[in-house]
Amino acid sequence: MFRALIPLALAAALSLAGWIGWGALRSPNATPIVGFSAPFVFGRFAVPTDNPLTEEAFLLGRRLFYDPILSGANQTACATCHFQRLAFTDGQARSPSLSGGELPFSAMSLTNLMWGQERFFWNGRAETLEQQAVMPIVHPDEMAQAMDELIEELRGSRTYRKMFRASYGEISADNVGKALATFMRLLISADSKYDSYLRGDTRLTAEEEYGRKLFMAHPDTKVSLRGGNCIDCHSQFLTSGFRGELDGFSNNGLDPEETLPDGLMEVTGNPAHRGFFKVPTLRNIAVTAPYMHDGRFQTLEEVMQHYNNGIAVSDTLSPLILEADNAYGRAEDIVGLRLSENEMDAIIAFLHTLTDETFLTNQRFADPFKGER
Amino acid sequence: MQMSRALAGAAVVLALLFGGWFTLRSDPDNTLTITFQARSGRDTLVFDEFVYANPGGDGEYRLRDFRFYLSNVHLIGDSKTFAEPDSYHLIRFDNSDRAHSLKFAGLPLRSVEKVRFMLGLDAEANSSIEFRGDLDPNSQMAWNWEVGYKFLVFEGGLLSDGEVVPLVYHVGFTENSRMLEFSIPEGLVLQDDAELRFDVDVAKLFDGQTIIDMAATQSVKFDREDAKMLADNYANMIEVAF
Repeated sequence: MFRALIPLALAAALSLAGWIGWGALRSPNATPIVGFSAPFVFGRFAVPTDNPLTEEAFLLGRRLFYDPILSGANQTACATCHFQRLAFTDGQARSPSLSGGELPFSAMSLTNLMWGQERFFWNGRAETLEQQAVMPIVHPDEMAQAMDELIEELRGSRTYRKMFRASYGEISADNVGKALATFMRLLISADSKYDSYLRGDTRLTAEEEYGRKLFMAHPDTKVSLRGGNCIDCHSQFLTSGFRGELDGFSNNGLDPEETLPDGLMEVTGNPAHRGFFKVPTLRNIAVTAPYMHDGRFQTLEEVMQHYNNGIAVSDTLSPLILEADNAYGRAEDIVGLRLSENEMDAIIAFLHTLTDETFLTNQRFADPFKGER
Repeated sequence: MQMSRALAGAAVVLALLFGGWFTLRSDPDNTLTITFQARSGRDTLVFDEFVYANPGGDGEYRLRDFRFYLSNVHLIGDSKTFAEPDSYHLIRFDNSDRAHSLKFAGLPLRSVEKVRFMLGLDAEANSSIEFRGDLDPNSQMAWNWEVGYKFLVFEGGLLSDGEVVPLVYHVGFTENSRMLEFSIPEGLVLQDDAELRFDVDVAKLFDGQTIIDMAATQSVKFDREDAKMLADNYANMIEVAF
């Protein structure tokens, strides 16, 4: 009787071991990242439940980010257009296109992406960071990679096989997007002079403090309040666009009606969104020239001049921009803030307090191949 | 004898436990949806079209944004008051229904006879940078942390003589919060999908205690008398819908 039971017990034990082993292979025991920190004033953030922050996913995402294997010709990496030293922009007005010429948009800074808008790209065409991460890979003018070929190439690499197994289990397009998204989510810049000021550790200079006050104020001549009006689009602590719904997209008066690009309208189909673009974070803005979605302004001075007297009027122009004027009485042919040179200099001085050297030089975000080569 | 005493003791304990359980269980666990419907007059609100007359002057206006903070919701019924914790809601209408719903679950009430809430924020919330409810100092509703929040935002344009001028009405300052109370005749029994509907009439913002000529007052921001004028008007823009 007992003898008859032994093979059964053995079979049960074997299948249990197999099940546990297979389970371990299928769902990796990745290490959750619980230690990252961000200032309280950054506020709420959300990480997708199917892509928790883990150390293994971060390391894999970083490697993928810096690896030209992601492109069709194995020559272009994400890092080709996103340099850490430039807060993950590329210093170009518009990045070069593989088919010659330039891409329509400037490479965006990748900073504090867990906060601010929950749509990505200048026109908001990606609804998650996972989605965003794979779009340039397969775009014919950016990295021109066929996804199934990329998966084959990654499967051929012992290092990637190990890293995917440890982080997600299998090598797939979804998991490439997830790993890149994890790396980008952890690009947190929170150690600028402004952060130190917010923590109460540093005082701003008189000019920076004057600039901060102007940054935070919508002008109101009726109560003699002067302002740079920045806060109407750039939140006070994050300095990014707003998070709720489509609040983080705006028409900031770059083009007149006749040449106004579609912008967000391309995604929503709503004519009220024509010429709307994603309001970018101003974190590290001093190192991310040139400026605007098409890189049309070379310096922060040019940006300030635009808001001061260069606003182009169109039907969807923000009424907050059209109405914000520091001078009494309407100007005949100028739409803008009409600030003094000193006031504009002060705002630029404040913008320089948003540069975070720790972030720009943090080895954790740096090219992992450098040590290997 | 000993035995039966012990049994009687146990029975009493059991009865008490059961009694307590029943008492707890009998506390109702009801749900309520409160829906705010944006209107101008009797019609559903329209965004981005010059279809509304300037109440105090010439021209037609359009809205591109209308939203407000509603806080400190109290539901009163069964001689009990339910005060919602962290009760800070941003009411916005940029959706296809032009409506905004608040859902309350686990209510210890069987019916609602009165609803009380504040348009705007209490002084404590208005001077805090804590993230509670829909309060968010990094949002569009924050002026900056020294001034507090905008309570109500109305942005748009006025078309007059073929020209469009911007309209910007931002009302804040703690003194401009308004506590409103509504009685529900015959009460609302909280069963099935109980819903209470309110109409929010945007037109009342400019056509109330003061009738406003938008061409003369194109913006209201930090001037306290202007802000109070709009607040006195918005105190009457919400009504129970039947």
